[in-house]
Amino acid sequence: MSKIHVTTKVNGDEVEYLCEPRETLLDCLRDHLDLTGAKEGCGTGDCGACSVTMDGRLVCSCLVLGAEAQGKEIATIEGMAEDGALHPLQRKFIEHAALQCGICTPGILVAAKSLLEKNPDPTETEMRYWLAGNLCRCTGYDKIIRAVMDAAAEMREAS
Amino acid sequence: MYPTKYHKPDSVDAAITALSGAEDGKFLAGGQTLLATMKQHLAAPSDLVDVRGISDLSGIRMDGDTLVIGAATTHAEVAASADVNSACPGLARLAAGIGDPAVRHMGTIGGSIANNDPAACYPAGLLALNATIVTNSREIAADDFFLGLFTTALEEDEIITSVRVPACAKAAYAKFRQPASLFALVGVCVAQTADGARVAITGAGEDGVFRHEGLEAALSSDWSASAIDGVEVSADGLMSDIHGSAAYRANLIKVMAKRAVAAA
Amino acid sequence: MSVRTPLPHDSAPLHVTGRARYVDDIPTPATCLHLAFGMAQIAHGRITSMDLDAVRSAQGVVQVIAGSDLDEIPDCSPSAEDEPLLSDGTIHYLGQPVFLVAATSHLAARRAVTLAKITYEEATPLLTIDAALEANSRFEDGPRVYEKGDVDQALSSAAHVIEGRIEMGGQEHFYLEGQAAMAMPQDNGDMIVHSSTQHPTEIQHKVAHALHLPMNGVRVETRRMGGGFGGKESQGNHLAIACALIAHRTGLPAKMRYDRDDDFMITGKRHDFRIDYRVGVNDEGRIAGAEFTQMTRCGWALDLSLPVADRAMLHADNAYHLPAARITSHRLRTHTQSATAFRGFGGPQGVVGIERVMDHIAHALGLDPLQVRQRNYYDDAFGAGVAQGGLSAPPGPPEDISGTKKAGTAHKLSSGTGASKRFGGAHSPEPMAGGAQTTPYHMEVTDFLLNGLTEKLATDCDYAARKAAIAEWNAGQPVLKKGIALTPVKFGISFTLTHLNQAGALVHVYADGSVHMNHGGTEMGQGLNQKVAQVAADRFGISPDMVKITATDTGKVPNTSATAASSGSDLNGMAVKAACDTIRDRMAEYLATEHQVKPHQVRFADGMVHVGAEEIPFAEAANRVYMGRVSLSATGYYKTPDIEWDRIAGRGRPFFYFAQGAACSEVVIDTLTGENRILRTDILHDAGSSLNPAIDIGQIEGGFVQGAGWLTTEELVWDETGRLRTHAPSTYKIPACSDRPRIFNVALWDAPNPAETIYRSKAVGEPPLMLGISVWSALADAVSACGPNYPDLQAPATAEAVLAAVARARG
Repeated sequence: MSKIHVTTKVNGDEVEYLCEPRETLLDCLRDHLDLTGAKEGCGTGDCGACSVTMDGRLVCSCLVLGAEAQGKEIATIEGMAEDGALHPLQRKFIEHAALQCGICTPGILVAAKSLLEKNPDPTETEMRYWLAGNLCRCTGYDKIIRAVMDAAAEMREAS
Repeated sequence: MYPTKYHKPDSVDAAITALSGAEDGKFLAGGQTLLATMKQHLAAPSDLVDVRGISDLSGIRMDGDTLVIGAATTHAEVAASADVNSACPGLARLAAGIGDPAVRHMGTIGGSIANNDPAACYPAGLLALNATIVTNSREIAADDFFLGLFTTALEEDEIITSVRVPACAKAAYAKFRQPASLFALVGVCVAQTADGARVAITGAGEDGVFRHEGLEAALSSDWSASAIDGVEVSADGLMSDIHGSAAYRANLIKVMAKRAVAAA
Repeated sequence: MSVRTPLPHDSAPLHVTGRARYVDDIPTPATCLHLAFGMAQIAHGRITSMDLDAVRSAQGVVQVIAGSDLDEIPDCSPSAEDEPLLSDGTIHYLGQPVFLVAATSHLAARRAVTLAKITYEEATPLLTIDAALEANSRFEDGPRVYEKGDVDQALSSAAHVIEGRIEMGGQEHFYLEGQAAMAMPQDNGDMIVHSSTQHPTEIQHKVAHALHLPMNGVRVETRRMGGGFGGKESQGNHLAIACALIAHRTGLPAKMRYDRDDDFMITGKRHDFRIDYRVGVNDEGRIAGAEFTQMTRCGWALDLSLPVADRAMLHADNAYHLPAARITSHRLRTHTQSATAFRGFGGPQGVVGIERVMDHIAHALGLDPLQVRQRNYYDDAFGAGVAQGGLSAPPGPPEDISGTKKAGTAHKLSSGTGASKRFGGAHSPEPMAGGAQTTPYHMEVTDFLLNGLTEKLATDCDYAARKAAIAEWNAGQPVLKKGIALTPVKFGISFTLTHLNQAGALVHVYADGSVHMNHGGTEMGQGLNQKVAQVAADRFGISPDMVKITATDTGKVPNTSATAASSGSDLNGMAVKAACDTIRDRMAEYLATEHQVKPHQVRFADGMVHVGAEEIPFAEAANRVYMGRVSLSATGYYKTPDIEWDRIAGRGRPFFYFAQGAACSEVVIDTLTGENRILRTDILHDAGSSLNPAIDIGQIEGGFVQGAGWLTTEELVWDETGRLRTHAPSTYKIPACSDRPRIFNVALWDAPNPAETIYRSKAVGEPPLMLGISVWSALADAVSACGPNYPDLQAPATAEAVLAAVARARG
């Protein structure tokens, strides 16, 4: 099976990898680029643990082929903290204890960040429905929503 | 997932050529269903022809009173489009309610209707809105396009290029979500058109999306939610599955039809 | 003081940056093999032929093993040695592993398994409770029965006898990290296994057994799991054994993770139950006698079904004093996945049984369900109603080095309440007049506090006024109806298999003052490591940052119990405390000698060691002690006192104490579709003196939502062939962000545990799951507002089920 050479940007860095056509972007991030922050929770696009953005849009990397990333810009959890400084969402997740086992956390942070970039002042209802595709089995979601809303408020103040 | 080959053509012709040359090729038009199906080994195309890079298939424009939506347009783009929101706001809201954000960012209108999942939203929308499906070789009325479960009038090597939707100010879609998948357990789209009311139902029919004559007759004579009260919706021909019985779906059809009329 | 502080989870900085490593994230050598199981496609019968040629020749496949290829098929069972890794030719459920593929990639292994050609001789599977009862297909030779008093007499003389049936479905764990394991062969035939397991010792034991190695030839390491919920107590055995077997045969590392679909099809779930009940009550709804018949589908293998079914019996009373009771339990064997541990371990099913009874009594007699509940509560322990104060209450008495209470603080807490009498040993509660009330298994209930707790919650959440307002609102609403319910939980803490109530720890203090902590518990997100690290830090009077939390490792602490039964902090906290205290005492003794003071004059606080008048930084103290040639490493050990239990007779004291709590939920239903939402939930939960309020509240919120999911949207459906039809998140609905209560208030009932637990805290892992019952009960209340008849709502109360119940209520 011939492999495909893909050139793409991940978290601002130009990267290249060789992948099989059937490998998903998630497979490529985890197995070829050693970026294991995105997780496979279900593999069918239903749980959101593999959330990344592609050209700024939230996608499930388990339902995108690695080959489809050619020429795109991918952002993953590993790129969220800049120069070692945590993003406000990351800080608020720690402060509000908005995580337990942690395996959904990267996906939820990526998803929340993508909403706040589009809509810096979401209502709680908008946030709930935006995160409808990100499952968490541990927390019951309350602290997650509180953390996101708090981070949004802080980011609005700072801007 | 079984091994496959990946093609990224930049024109419709190149896409057709790639597909014709494949042993068992499939168009990849967002992949939110296809890739999941392939992972479960329920589909094993020899080749994937990714059509989302083809510029002729993208974009939304008005052609007179008709909305023209490129086949590779994502649900998110339809939902956000100013043209769709002004010419056919019901369709924009339908698109905004499909799946979750990740699905809306990748899934496309062409991919959705070509797959014709019996619980998908777009088939109901396009059928009620009396849309026309444009392919590389012909135009097909929605009434003639959706033929049954996962079955359409598309020939092999035929590709949807766009969808033409007559502007319709009074149309709405109401969906009772199957809570796990966010697909429609029952979705009802109602539209008031020049030829009377059209009502299309997804999620419920054993043969996929269908129009409901009784509801159309009632709404054609009286466009109001209360007009639906007197309509008998039979459970015959409706799906019974792990997510709901036929009787439950029949009940939901009336409830959703009324909500759609109220929202239109 | 690092305990009782809401510090973040120790891994939080890793979680938010994506750097926390789970089994599947561990870098693997390029030679690593990846495994997948081929699964049976029928529920019961025999394999007549198995053609694996195409599997063997598939690209990337290195080895294929069927049961017949092995001289001895390794056993995976945690109990009865009745779970062969691969089928021996007999098929017991649809999804049973029949062969194993090792390939060069996960995708290649997964693809290859689909190429098998297997033929079967099918037999009729037993899939339902009725089918199993009819065939007398069961574990143990007959039903278990626990009995107290004369139930028949109580029922025959009661003013009212209420009877009915409640059926409740099972529940898929849906830990977001699927099962995973990796085995690395060592140069002398030993094996190192990384496993996503709640029970590393069990993995070690089973892998050693499979490879014919002594246990010292296998080392198991578990850094963290992406959720467990009981589903990783025994269900990881298969993967670890498969990896070890392949690694042993090939000399190469081997890794296995289930895809989500495979995880659903192969692994066990929560036991579904049917409970038939008959209760005799007086006009006030007070129960004189109750009879419960519990029936559960255990699936094909024994696994942990006996203790699960026992615990369901042990919670048939929940919070209610039953003067006479008979509880009968049938453990039925069916051709389905082997049901297993799931948060609550049978307790929730027992509790749902009697909570349903409370609602039924209220409906039958026209009483408020909360009133019926309160009338049937056990009596509160002396002082239990006043020793609290909610979250804002002052912390309970801390302990100093010798374990005695600091007088000042104790005085503060006891002022005006007399409550300090309750604390421990010599200050145990005085026996009640006429003796304490007993459970149906004859255990005295001496620490009940739900009367006071319920009263406070009902007041704080304005139950009575809201109940009245809802009735008024419902009268004016044709389509939407609201409901409200306040339900309690009393959950017994301890493994009912008494010998499991023990734990070990290993603590090192390095010469630079940094501390390495290890214990037998595993981290699955519940914050166990953080809580226990706070204990260690407190013992040494240092910041928790100085305590290194390390992966659970069978090479460091042996013979551990599963992190289960909510026992993690109770057991491991105490073991770590013991280890720390051993080291601390050695340090104190050395430094005391050096400074010519008494050892008890050495205090550890604020990062300093106070020796007489001198203050020495902890790091310097550690170095001095090291230079003085004193060991700074110790093990710690703990076993729970005061428990003994005869599970056959149904008599004894199986639990060290009870953790308690209550929730009030308000819901709204749409009577046209059955759709429903949680509008508001208020919870007051008893975590004793919480070791970490932030973590404990997280457990409560998550447990509540998981419990509500179990009883509302989470529906497992098997078809008539025995195939599980809900095997993915697109068909099995766990709560999502939009399902959480619109208003969610959670507070801790902050009173010290009268039992001598670690810093007087209480276990908090499982009990809150049962708070989710308030949602189901509120749904029944809303349905009852639709008509005069008993709605007979079953579980899970899906939208369609709610709609059907509305129709029944209307009649």
